[in-house]
Amino acid sequence: MKDRLLQALKVHNVDYADIRIEDKYHSWVNFRGTDLDTIGSSRTLGGIVRALYRGGWGYSTFNDLTDLEKRVREACEIAHLVGKEETLFAPVDSLEADIPAQLVKDYREIPLAEKKALMEEYNQIILGFHENIKTSNVRYADSFRTIWFANSEGTYTREEIPDVNMVVSAVARKDDIVQRAFELSGGFDGFQSVENCHDKARQASQRAVELLDAPPVTGGTYTVISNPYMTGVFTHEAFGHLSEADFVYENDRMKEIMVLGTRFGGENLNIIDDGTHPGGLGTHQFDYEGVPTRKNYLINEGILVGRLHSRETAAKMDEPVTGNARAVFFQHPPLVRMTNTYIDAGETRFEDMIKDIKLGVYACDMIGGQTAIEMFTFSAAYGYMIRDGQVAELVRDVVLTGNVFETLKNIDMIGDDLKFAPNGPGGCGKGGQYPLRVGMGGPHIRIQECVVGGQQ
Amino acid sequence: MISEKIIQKALEKAQDAQVTVVTRETSAVDFENNRLKSAEASQRTNIDLKVIVDGKVGISSTTDPGEIEGVVERALEAAQFGSEAHFELPEPQDLKTVEIFDPSLLSLEKTEMIHMGQQMMEMIKAYNPEILAGAQVNKVISKIQYANSKGVRYSADHTDFYIGAGGNLIRGTDVLFAGNGFGQKKRDIDTEEIASKAIELFRKAENIVPVKSGEMPVIFMPEGLLLLLLSLGLATDGKNVLLGASPLQEKLGKKIADSRLTIVDDPLVQFGPGSSAFDDEGTPRQITPIIENGILKNFIYDRDTAGRAGVEPTGHGSNRNWTNLMINSGETSYDEMIHSIENGLLVNDFLGMGQGNPINGEFSVNVFLGYKIEDGKVTGRIKDVMLSGNAFTALDNITAISKEREWVVNPYLDFSGFFPYLQVEKLSVTAK
Repeated sequence: MKDRLLQALKVHNVDYADIRIEDKYHSWVNFRGTDLDTIGSSRTLGGIVRALYRGGWGYSTFNDLTDLEKRVREACEIAHLVGKEETLFAPVDSLEADIPAQLVKDYREIPLAEKKALMEEYNQIILGFHENIKTSNVRYADSFRTIWFANSEGTYTREEIPDVNMVVSAVARKDDIVQRAFELSGGFDGFQSVENCHDKARQASQRAVELLDAPPVTGGTYTVISNPYMTGVFTHEAFGHLSEADFVYENDRMKEIMVLGTRFGGENLNIIDDGTHPGGLGTHQFDYEGVPTRKNYLINEGILVGRLHSRETAAKMDEPVTGNARAVFFQHPPLVRMTNTYIDAGETRFEDMIKDIKLGVYACDMIGGQTAIEMFTFSAAYGYMIRDGQVAELVRDVVLTGNVFETLKNIDMIGDDLKFAPNGPGGCGKGGQYPLRVGMGGPHIRIQECVVGGQQ
Repeated sequence: MISEKIIQKALEKAQDAQVTVVTRETSAVDFENNRLKSAEASQRTNIDLKVIVDGKVGISSTTDPGEIEGVVERALEAAQFGSEAHFELPEPQDLKTVEIFDPSLLSLEKTEMIHMGQQMMEMIKAYNPEILAGAQVNKVISKIQYANSKGVRYSADHTDFYIGAGGNLIRGTDVLFAGNGFGQKKRDIDTEEIASKAIELFRKAENIVPVKSGEMPVIFMPEGLLLLLLSLGLATDGKNVLLGASPLQEKLGKKIADSRLTIVDDPLVQFGPGSSAFDDEGTPRQITPIIENGILKNFIYDRDTAGRAGVEPTGHGSNRNWTNLMINSGETSYDEMIHSIENGLLVNDFLGMGQGNPINGEFSVNVFLGYKIEDGKVTGRIKDVMLSGNAFTALDNITAISKEREWVVNPYLDFSGFFPYLQVEKLSVTAK
């Protein structure tokens, strides 16, 4: 493959060109209720050529690999149509690397029947848990991707990316009320990461049943404590996306907001994106432009100190490359994306965080989150009221929303218990590219004056 | 033909087989931050195989037409432990006629698509040079083939054309995103109209106005209706109904919405963005009423779910997606609607849709783009406002339906729609 890619790139007549080829085997088992919903497998083979000419990009994407030179020519022609300015593209050393997968238990050697049997065990636990459990959703997926990358500067890499993940979800119903709860598992190191998850199936079932009797949270402004998983979502959604330089580099007003050296939070606040974090869902040795990943401080002691870059945004903002150009599938050009993003541990114990809150909300785990620069909204999977310094009754429909700039300043306590969110399916969406695997985490944090949606 | 070869190979061990082959050529141009950023050509092939062996289903797919043996082998493996087939593959049937191909799109060159994008960006810049404008022009030529072991051989050529324009405007730390887009299966799209609608969204947002928490009337713009339809879609999905997860399970034939409301899924709209003559299971497309004068008429079923539920499939594919969802127009003009409100909201887009418990109808979303109505006028944009309520309650508490209707077409959405403005009596609003 190396010779084929480098040979094909020789026909380019632009400032920069690269090819990425991806071969992906994927298999899945889904139970919904008592029935096996689907079981199957797929293979996706395809590639993309990117050509950069006078600041304009031409892309050619394809499944048919027979004539790569034709694709290089096509991307170059398009780039010539687009490019009218000047190419700015950060220089990096060319490299050559071959990174094989490291699996403890190789799921490719496990027959579909065995994967199905294990999921059936979890499914049975959920369905038999309680009379109010009406249905279940147990989804297992694995994929094994091989990605070849070469560019016109001589870089050639081949990387294998394994992935196993699972979600066990219980749906409980009483009269008109339907509640859902889930637990996740998975990882990059093999099939063992989804074994022995019987307790997770029980926990999800238990919570779904309990949520039936939980009242919806009353909307209003509260002191909120977020658990580590929720902190991770907040860090990723509310702040992380602002650090992606492609939102900033051509936008003078955003540049004014995101000036390095600006204070964004208290001195206890440190936010990091680390593509080298061992075992992280967003961990890679290098990004999809052949740039090595690294640990990047975004906020250090409350001050904005860095942001995430592709080679193009780094050159345009005259800042160092960070290794954050990532793509979801072969047909997508890489965008500036996060890897593993987290708030670093502070010093406060949970007991000290909660003890002086008269009325507040303890938001736990997440269902989803969305952001639009300054505005964010994210949903806790469940929550508790905090009353007189104690965790009180379970509540449902906890949705937090607000303005990120205000909210970061309103974080007044940071816990000592840093944890990363559990592995599961899904990931981050941006520019139509979903789901990108990302890690996120943090400790418990306390936010003053946070808007919680809901009926008054 | 490749589907013949795959079926033949599969039938060596399977009793039944079906193959869908989709080939697609896309040409796209993308403007961002006031400039032409990139353009793309793409070629895609996707082959999906479903086999039935001893009453059990196995599926697999591939993008590699050279990999016939692999795709058949994997489907056969999956069928050994597959789910029981509760359906039969369809027999050949007469398909309804629907226009989905416009030859004039074949000759549309990238240079002209670039010109269209530029025109829209210039209009937006002329309105307000501070806006960082963007635009997309996208054309897709595709061929969809369905074949099965019962002798069905369907083939359809599609042309899809999509144009969108919008931008973002930043003042201080305030960021405003707005845009408009339209797509259909023919070339004739008015770029000026798309840019004008995007500009109108910005124009209404020139002032930011405060909102007090409380209950108030809310007008959903056509795009904004996606919030309520998300819950309706989940609750009328036959699979959710079969599994007992839908709150509408027992409501077929009963009144669930205002009696002026009629919602019909119509895949046979000429050149409609979601139009086609057959789905990916070989079921002929047909018009399906969802709500008729407030009465719940149908759930959406794929073949297998229909078999399990003992009903007929509705022709919405294996994923049970709507095609062109048509909501009837009403008696009230948009202007009359606005004039009738003393204190309320006009909402277009939300953050946090689908979070929480959408199948129950419950929502609690941040209004991403919305406006305040005061004394019969739209006075400005609202910010940091959560809108909460229940979609089914809202659909049953409609004050007015507008005469005007607009297409809602979005490349990230798996269906399209033609919707009026809908005024809901009152919803709960939480402001900071």
